[in-house]
Amino acid sequence: MSSTADIETLIARMALGDRAAFSALYTATSAKLFGVALRVLDNRAEAEDALQEVFVKVWRAAGTYQVNGLSPMTWLITITRNHAIDRLRARRGATGGMDELAELADLTPGPEALAIASSDSGRIAGCLGQLEPDRADAVRRAYVEGETYDELARRYGVPLNTIRTWLRRSLLKLRECLSS
Amino acid sequence: MTDLTDREEDQTIAAEYALGLLTPPEARAFEARLAVDPQLRADYALWAEDFVALTDAIAPVVPPKSVLTGIEAQLFPQQKRSLLERLGLLPAMLGGLTAALVVLFVTNQGWLDQPGVGPAYTASAQIAAEDQSLVVLARFDPAAGALRIERSAGGALPGRALELWLIAGDNPPVSLGLLPQTATGDIAVPEALLASLDGGVLAISDEPPGGSPTGAPTGAVLAVGAVTTI
Repeated sequence: MSSTADIETLIARMALGDRAAFSALYTATSAKLFGVALRVLDNRAEAEDALQEVFVKVWRAAGTYQVNGLSPMTWLITITRNHAIDRLRARRGATGGMDELAELADLTPGPEALAIASSDSGRIAGCLGQLEPDRADAVRRAYVEGETYDELARRYGVPLNTIRTWLRRSLLKLRECLSS
Repeated sequence: MTDLTDREEDQTIAAEYALGLLTPPEARAFEARLAVDPQLRADYALWAEDFVALTDAIAPVVPPKSVLTGIEAQLFPQQKRSLLERLGLLPAMLGGLTAALVVLFVTNQGWLDQPGVGPAYTASAQIAAEDQSLVVLARFDPAAGALRIERSAGGALPGRALELWLIAGDNPPVSLGLLPQTATGDIAVPEALLASLDGGVLAISDEPPGGSPTGAPTGAVLAVGAVTTI
């Protein structure tokens, strides 16, 4: 993986229409972004379509990168995650699919995955560990599975207002922990 | 106390936005605030950075080649094999004010080089716009280590400059410098770039006085020509 500065330079060159920079960015980041799309969508063909759409977006949005305040990999992964979740939600809507939720894989990373997790991920993992397990799980499900308040309420068998209240409280605790 | 609560509220709603938990009207309202509130943007950026760490454990998977092919077909349609597309100059050209179609004039050595007259040029290119609004002949004189420039049509716009670029293969354009304001003149070619001339492409872009501030073309690409070795 290229360094943060390298990726920033590639994005800046893409904003000027530099196709070689686009190829280099694709080479450096497509496997990670494809992994994220696959993880969210759990469907290879859909993840391939999503990745294609993501890189088209990235090429067109390269000029706006510098103003958003995100690090380059965060920007790229966030675009990918959000796009994949839009697709996932469209799919759920189309199939009426709350039933599918039970089939989604458990979010707890296995031992191999934990081993390759970087030190950065230790911070949020540590702070999530300070929340009650089902609340930490709800945050992960919202981020990685794109679950909505409505879906989370059904999953945990509580009213919508209740899930929102406790998740918001959990997020505030999380912020305190992450900023400390 | 009220301020703290407001801050907490902002931090929480920024997290909900980052997670995608807001309803569409709530998300739109948040985005409207985001556009004008730097503190809120910082709150959001903080969450985005923290949450993205949840993807650290996701292993990379190499996508099939068809994905890249699909992207290129969508972003760079039809010009797939064209010179401009290979140069990566198309977006710059489309973004420019003069989105003139540019075609390639392969040098006709028969009329460019009159046998036995003048220096022994080793490479040349005619860099021209399709409508001939800009025509520049560039010939490399190895004795001088420079391109002899002869501009027979067109020129820089008032308050603007013309910049000459060398593109080798899929590499990004490398500036060779500004075209002389006079119709003829020399542009020295750094020794490191000599090898790239052979089979390379020369392009001229419209730039601010003093040339591109970024090291890559920023204005319209006005003319392009392939280098042929003599």
